[in-house]
Amino acid sequence: MIEVKNVTKKFESTIAVDNISFEVKDGEIVGLLGPNGAGKSTTMNMITGFIEPTSGQIIVNGNDILKKPKKVKKQIGYMPEGVPLYYELTPKEFVSYMAELKLVKRKERKEEVQKVLKETGLEEVQNRLIRSLSRGYKQRVSLAGALVGNPDVIILDEPTVGLDPKQITEIRSLIKNLGKKHTVILSSHILSEVSQICEKVIIINKGKLIAVDTPENLEKATMDTNGILLTIEDPKNNIRNLKEQIKEIKSIKLVKDNNDGTKQYLIISSSDVDLRKQLFDLLPKQDIVIFELKKSETTLEDAFIKLIDNVKEEKK
Amino acid sequence: MWAIYKKELKTYFLSPIGYISIGIFMLMYSIFFYATTITYGSVDMGNLYYATARYGLLLMVPLLTMRIFSEEKRNGTEQLLLTSPKSVTSIVLGKFFAAATVILITVIISIVYAIIVSFFGTVNVPTMLVTMLGFILVAMAAISIGMLISSLTENQVVAAIITIAILIAPWFLVELSNVFSAIDLMDKFMKFPYGLISISDVISLVSITVMCVLITIILIKRRKAVK
Repeated sequence: MIEVKNVTKKFESTIAVDNISFEVKDGEIVGLLGPNGAGKSTTMNMITGFIEPTSGQIIVNGNDILKKPKKVKKQIGYMPEGVPLYYELTPKEFVSYMAELKLVKRKERKEEVQKVLKETGLEEVQNRLIRSLSRGYKQRVSLAGALVGNPDVIILDEPTVGLDPKQITEIRSLIKNLGKKHTVILSSHILSEVSQICEKVIIINKGKLIAVDTPENLEKATMDTNGILLTIEDPKNNIRNLKEQIKEIKSIKLVKDNNDGTKQYLIISSSDVDLRKQLFDLLPKQDIVIFELKKSETTLEDAFIKLIDNVKEEKK
Repeated sequence: MWAIYKKELKTYFLSPIGYISIGIFMLMYSIFFYATTITYGSVDMGNLYYATARYGLLLMVPLLTMRIFSEEKRNGTEQLLLTSPKSVTSIVLGKFFAAATVILITVIISIVYAIIVSFFGTVNVPTMLVTMLGFILVAMAAISIGMLISSLTENQVVAAIITIAILIAPWFLVELSNVFSAIDLMDKFMKFPYGLISISDVISLVSITVMCVLITIILIKRRKAVK
């Protein structure tokens, strides 16, 4: 359980994090989302005790990080942004060193290190120099460093940046597995990633907390109109008359011309009606052939942009 | 502290730095050994250490200390250290003693020269031991200064140059006024080669060391609040 209470961080002239409060329950995977420079890393650095908040309180499993740093830091595994590693060491040496720093007992150390190396798929490269490893492996070494000592809380700052798609899927499934045993906080500016992995999303922009909710709820909350995506073959361009025949339609937008005789349109109506049945009945009568008809989904992407825009408008 | 000490010491010998600094010591020591002991048939080991300290430490210490914190800061590994349950004090002390150990190794190697001399004459063992003690005290003071400088910058070269400047400045400042001899480490090393342990010299060397180590600890702790 992590409680962040009214935390503010001021740098000389700027406010990086502005009065943020949120809670993360045990076993949750939470995504910290925001554009670059939103204050994600600063927030994470404060939870891990790397920097101290200007004001406010951070409590991990009932202990204040400022009052009992040793106890709290032992419970946190941190993978910082940019994957800092000691390049002159091997993965095995690095993870053993991290285990020592995390106060893993001497007897259990060897076993624990091997367990973590296995979990992160580093067994084969454990005796090569970190310097010579590929980016994906370096990321895993960094993750292994965060996992060693079996901490309750794992904090990952942009864990998938700079990886190729295959490595990204691998790291993601690794993180998903972690959620079974640990509390995980990860930051990202990639929305699809967060909606895939996380059970809860915390959106931050310019140091301020904008929303805390599940990805599904965020999508719903920002969906105030109903959209239908329609791919049709319409040689006579009868689609023009559609608006007159179905009164509920607010607008018809051409999304793209597929250049094979079909075109894709987005039909917007008010949120309380579903036009799919009407369209399905009506269009064939107008000599329009339907290739595809589906409800357009608002993505987390839309929700995110909308939320950030809303805040801007409120300011004006 | 032990974990950090072990890792730091290992890092010195995984990179060329450890070997180069030992090499510098051996080179200096051998040159002075030739110039005094062999040329004049002298058995005075004390001044060998004095000369080596004066010129050798000037290069060895910045080499050992420049990376201590600068490298961690630049690579971001500082975050790994400072978010671990280890206290800032144990981190700083671990790094300090690792650098001091490299110096200690060189001093131990230098005993070989005393053994060579002992075949041709009598080495004054107590005087030599006192000089070695002084050498280590001076080296530790210099290391603490270098470590403090390293904690202030991300740039290793800047750290090295400033450390050299601080070690060398008193040599010239003394020409202006004798007051500056108070901050000259070598001034505190003058009596050791004669087999004299001056309490005031020992206290001033130890207090310079303790002061610089403490300032380093305070600065790193404070940066957590300010940064």
